[in-house]
Amino acid sequence: MTTTFGRFVRTATAAAMLSATMLSPALADTTLKFVSWQVDDAGTGDWWKAAIAAFEEANPGVKVEFTKVERAAYADTMTTLFAGGQPPHIVHLASFEFQSFAENGWMENLGPWLDKDGIDMTGWAGQGKCMWNGETACIMMNYFGFIMAYNKAILEKEGLSVPTTYAEFLEVARKTTKDFNGDGITDQYGTGHETKGGAGQYLTEMLSYILDAGAYWTDKDGNITIDTPEMVEGLTRWKTVVKEGLTPIDLSAGDIRKLFADGKMALRLDGPWLYGIMQKGAASADTAVAEPAFSPPVGGSSNVLGMASEISDEEKALVWDFIKLVMSPEWQRKYATIGKNTPPSPAADVSGVEQEVPHFPLLIKTMMAASDAGVDRIPTGLEIQYNEFGKMVQEEVQRMLIEDLDPAEVVKVMQERAETIKNGG
Amino acid sequence: MSRVRLFDLARPSRQHLLGYILLTPAVLLVGLIIVYPLIISIDLSLQAVKLPRIGAPRAPFTTANYERLFASSEFWMACWVTLKLVVVVTAGSLITGVSTALLVNNRFRGRTLARLAMALPWAVPEVIAVVIFAWIFDSSFGLMSWLLVTLGLSDGMVAWVSTPGAAFWAVAITMIWKGYPFVSIMTLAGLQSIPTDFYNAAKVDGANVFQRFRWITLPLLMPVLGVTLVLVILWVFRDFSIIKVLTEGGPLKSTQTLSIMTYDQAFGFFNFGYASAVGVVTLVICVVASLLLLGRQTRAMY
Repeated sequence: MTTTFGRFVRTATAAAMLSATMLSPALADTTLKFVSWQVDDAGTGDWWKAAIAAFEEANPGVKVEFTKVERAAYADTMTTLFAGGQPPHIVHLASFEFQSFAENGWMENLGPWLDKDGIDMTGWAGQGKCMWNGETACIMMNYFGFIMAYNKAILEKEGLSVPTTYAEFLEVARKTTKDFNGDGITDQYGTGHETKGGAGQYLTEMLSYILDAGAYWTDKDGNITIDTPEMVEGLTRWKTVVKEGLTPIDLSAGDIRKLFADGKMALRLDGPWLYGIMQKGAASADTAVAEPAFSPPVGGSSNVLGMASEISDEEKALVWDFIKLVMSPEWQRKYATIGKNTPPSPAADVSGVEQEVPHFPLLIKTMMAASDAGVDRIPTGLEIQYNEFGKMVQEEVQRMLIEDLDPAEVVKVMQERAETIKNGG
Repeated sequence: MSRVRLFDLARPSRQHLLGYILLTPAVLLVGLIIVYPLIISIDLSLQAVKLPRIGAPRAPFTTANYERLFASSEFWMACWVTLKLVVVVTAGSLITGVSTALLVNNRFRGRTLARLAMALPWAVPEVIAVVIFAWIFDSSFGLMSWLLVTLGLSDGMVAWVSTPGAAFWAVAITMIWKGYPFVSIMTLAGLQSIPTDFYNAAKVDGANVFQRFRWITLPLLMPVLGVTLVLVILWVFRDFSIIKVLTEGGPLKSTQTLSIMTYDQAFGFFNFGYASAVGVVTLVICVVASLLLLGRQTRAMY
């Protein structure tokens, strides 16, 4: 009996030890934290959830805790998590904010991971923006081009066609801005821009007019190029649209999009995400999308995916598996079909997507147009100071509007202040 | 036996020990959630730190953040905006709060309902109140502009958030609306502690309603009003959400207080060392203001 019991104990111990050594640590019960502002986004949120489900299925015992943090509080939350030594394992950041995290050494260099798996990033849209201090700090998850949405009914009522140039755009905006009952309150706007949100969004809203005028904040080498005749023209256009009341003011992006979707606005320049909102609006039957009347269209990098540098090697291996999954051609195609957005991977097979997403060719076209023109919302050389730079530009443009200043004078002040910011002043 | 006596907290000579023991958890908690972060902030303000990390090696000591701060026109502008807001909101809240408290202290039909209505803004969560006011002061479709246009007081919609003067008043009105119920409740409590005999005696002496207010109500309310004043001032100093949601400190920094400046520098521009310096200076200003006001109040009471 004793012998039998002893044999049983020995066998059981050996089996337990064998199981423990054979089970990879990566397969043990693990929870990966993944914080994002896109959790509830129509399209993109669905894509993330589907990818997480697929990842969990392929990795039994591994859970991804997908938590939403509002975009407005996102930088604060992520900073606090990293500073407190509790970063999320899977790091999701906007393309204009990851630089500070990478600069602080909080982002894992993904270069060796890419090399290990022999993944070639050639042709991956916007990936160049993820290079920081010579390292691959992240993977670009979205590179997009702006589209122009318009309300067919409003345009037809005024006998107008879809604008294809800035001059036509201005004419349509002027003719469709209406105070129907003459009470001094505008009832229908020609176009709409967010002027209340953060500085980054304010710059993006202005950018169509500035790019079309041939201007930009910096050149390819990072030199400040604000004090130019083209920038004066760009600012003059923005001033015209705002001062003439062709756009509602002090509204958030969500409010502006809702106004358009509900038929209170003729034209709206926005990213691919506008389409989902249009479909849910009261005027969904009247709204359509076209190529922007501005060339090149606004576009560029949107958000990036990376991994925290201070997690264990086992967790890093799992995070890398997740990143590889979402980078795979299969999931990049699903970024188009489920996410209704333009996948950055050149290997993604997007043929036939237009059957599910009718305007998909337009999204690809504007993305390519922005990419070919080298457009990005984040100016080269000001990546780390983007928020401060954006705040400065917003402030000077507001001063121009409030004090009715000459744009030619404004660009000189902006040039000087931008150089001070760039030089760390 | 002597050991038992040593811990006999019931002995009169050791009763103070029981007090200390009971206070210890609260003191430790305060130390953990207030004093420790405060020390960290002071330490950070004396380092050139962009993004801090708990446990990271300390950067070299420097006073550069304070030198930059005192040389910055933005800091002095934020001080001026904070001071203006403190004066306007405190005065507005006090006048409105005392007036409404005096009103609902009288006997009339519907007094309970009136008291409830008076306290309602205090019960509304701040963020919800601000969102409501953001719509009221909306520059394109807001109720306030509509009223002004309808009443013929304005030719068109008022750009509340994108005009410096209007933005300041939009913030101030919202803060007064949110802050006056606290003054009302405190004042009402103070009013109810004043013996009615005083008023009866004053009436017999022929004092009119203004004389009774000036010579009985106001002096007896002063201890309550003094403390309330300090609390309201400190609230205006540190309030963040109303300004953040309504104007984000703009336009042209016309509503940027020290709190907003601290937040922007820390989470907007990732200058935690500099932001800590702003926070420490704000704390010093608040402590000095509190000491001055409470000192005066203490003398008034005793």
